[in-house]
Amino acid sequence: MSEMMSSVSMFFLYAIAAVFAQNAAFSRALGVSRLVKLVDDSAADSAVFCLCLTLVQLLSAPLAYAANRWLPAGLGWAAAVRPLVLVLCSAAALGLVVLAASALRLPAAGRIAQTLPMATFNCAVLGCMLVTTTQSFTLAQTMGFALGSGLGYTLALLVVLEAQRKLRNRQVPGTFRGLPVNLLYIGILALAIYAFTGHAAAY
Amino acid sequence: MWENRIRYLNENFARISRRDRVFLNNPVIATGLGLAPLIIAATSGRNALMLSAAVLMLLTPTRVLAGVVSRWVRFRALVYTLTSAVVYIGVYFAMKATFGVQISYLGLYLPLLVTEPIILKRYERATPERWTTSLRKGLLTTAGFVLVILLVGMLREVLAVGTVFGAKVTGAPVLPIATLPSGGFVVVALLCAGWRGAVNYVKKWVNMEAKKYQ
Repeated sequence: MSEMMSSVSMFFLYAIAAVFAQNAAFSRALGVSRLVKLVDDSAADSAVFCLCLTLVQLLSAPLAYAANRWLPAGLGWAAAVRPLVLVLCSAAALGLVVLAASALRLPAAGRIAQTLPMATFNCAVLGCMLVTTTQSFTLAQTMGFALGSGLGYTLALLVVLEAQRKLRNRQVPGTFRGLPVNLLYIGILALAIYAFTGHAAAY
Repeated sequence: MWENRIRYLNENFARISRRDRVFLNNPVIATGLGLAPLIIAATSGRNALMLSAAVLMLLTPTRVLAGVVSRWVRFRALVYTLTSAVVYIGVYFAMKATFGVQISYLGLYLPLLVTEPIILKRYERATPERWTTSLRKGLLTTAGFVLVILLVGMLREVLAVGTVFGAKVTGAPVLPIATLPSGGFVVVALLCAGWRGAVNYVKKWVNMEAKKYQ
C-alpha cells in the first residue's frame, strides 16, 4: 500500500515539476521552434496541436520506458540507436491516437490526423523521452513527467499567445517584431523560472 | 556593369532572398528553425563547433535520402524522421571518433537533432523534390545554420566567460547569464533583430541605388 502511495506521489511530483520548474519550453527550449511558429500563425489550431502532443507523449512514455530497459546502457551502440528506438515508440503512439480517434468517431478526427505528424515528430516529444530514459526514471516518474511535459508545453503556448496583444504593439521596433520579441519574452519567462528554482535544468 | 547588377538585384530581390539560405533568408533568423540546440547547447565555441559538425553530417544526407524514399512511401513525416534517426547512428560514431567524450557536453541536444525542424521541415511540403535540389538546398540550409550557431556559440562564450574557443578576449565576463537558457533566448533574440535590421538595410540600399540609375 505504501509502495503504491509512493508511486502516486512520485507521479504527481514529477508532473508538477515538468509543468513549472522543468517546463519543456522555458527550461530546455524543447519545441520552441514549433511554439513560435504556432504563435505567429493565426490559422494554426493550437488547441488540437497541444492535445495531440500531450496524448502522444503520454502514450509513448511507457513504450520508451520498456524499450530503454531492453537497451543495455553499457554497450557503445545504445546511445547511437536510442533516437531510432524512441522515434519508433512515438510512431506507435501516433498509430494508437489515430486508431482511438477513428474508433471514437470524433468530430475533429480530420484535424487531429492533419496535426498528428507535427505533434509527434518534434523536439518536445523526443526530448521528453530522452530525459526520462537517460535519467533512468521509474515508470511512475516517466508517466508523471510525460503528462507534465505535455501540460507544461500547453501552458507555455498559452502564456506566449496571451502576450501577443502587447507584443504586436506598434511601439515595438520593426526589426524586433515577430520572432525576436517572442524569444525575448520567452527568455524573460525562462529567467523568472530560473529565479524560482535556483538552478538550470540538467541536459 | 555595376548599374546592371544593381538593377538586376532590385528587380529580383524577392526571388534572390527566397533562394538565399545564408544571409537574406537564413532558416534560423527568418523562420526560427533549429532553436533548441542553439539556445541551450550552443553555450561556447566548442559546443557550437560540435553541433555544426553533427548538422553538417545529418541534414543533407537525411534530406536527400528521405526525398528519394518519400517518392514511393506515402507517410512523409515518418520517412523523414526514420531516415534522420538511421543517419544519426553513423553521425554518432563519427562524432565520437572525432570529439571523443566531449560530445557529452551536448547532452540530449545531440540525439535531439534527429527531430529538429531544420532537418525535418521539408516533409510538410507535399511536392517531392529532385535529389539534386535536395542536395543544393540541404547544403545551403546547413551553411546558414552553421553560420548562426557558430556566431551564437562564440558570442555567448565571450559574454559569459570572456574567451573564444578558450582564448582570452576580454578581461572579465560581461554577462555570465549568457550560458543559461534565458541568456540564450535573449542573445538569439538580439542577434535575430540585428540580422533582420541588416537585411532590411541591404534591401533599402539596393532600392535606393537602383533609383539613381532610373
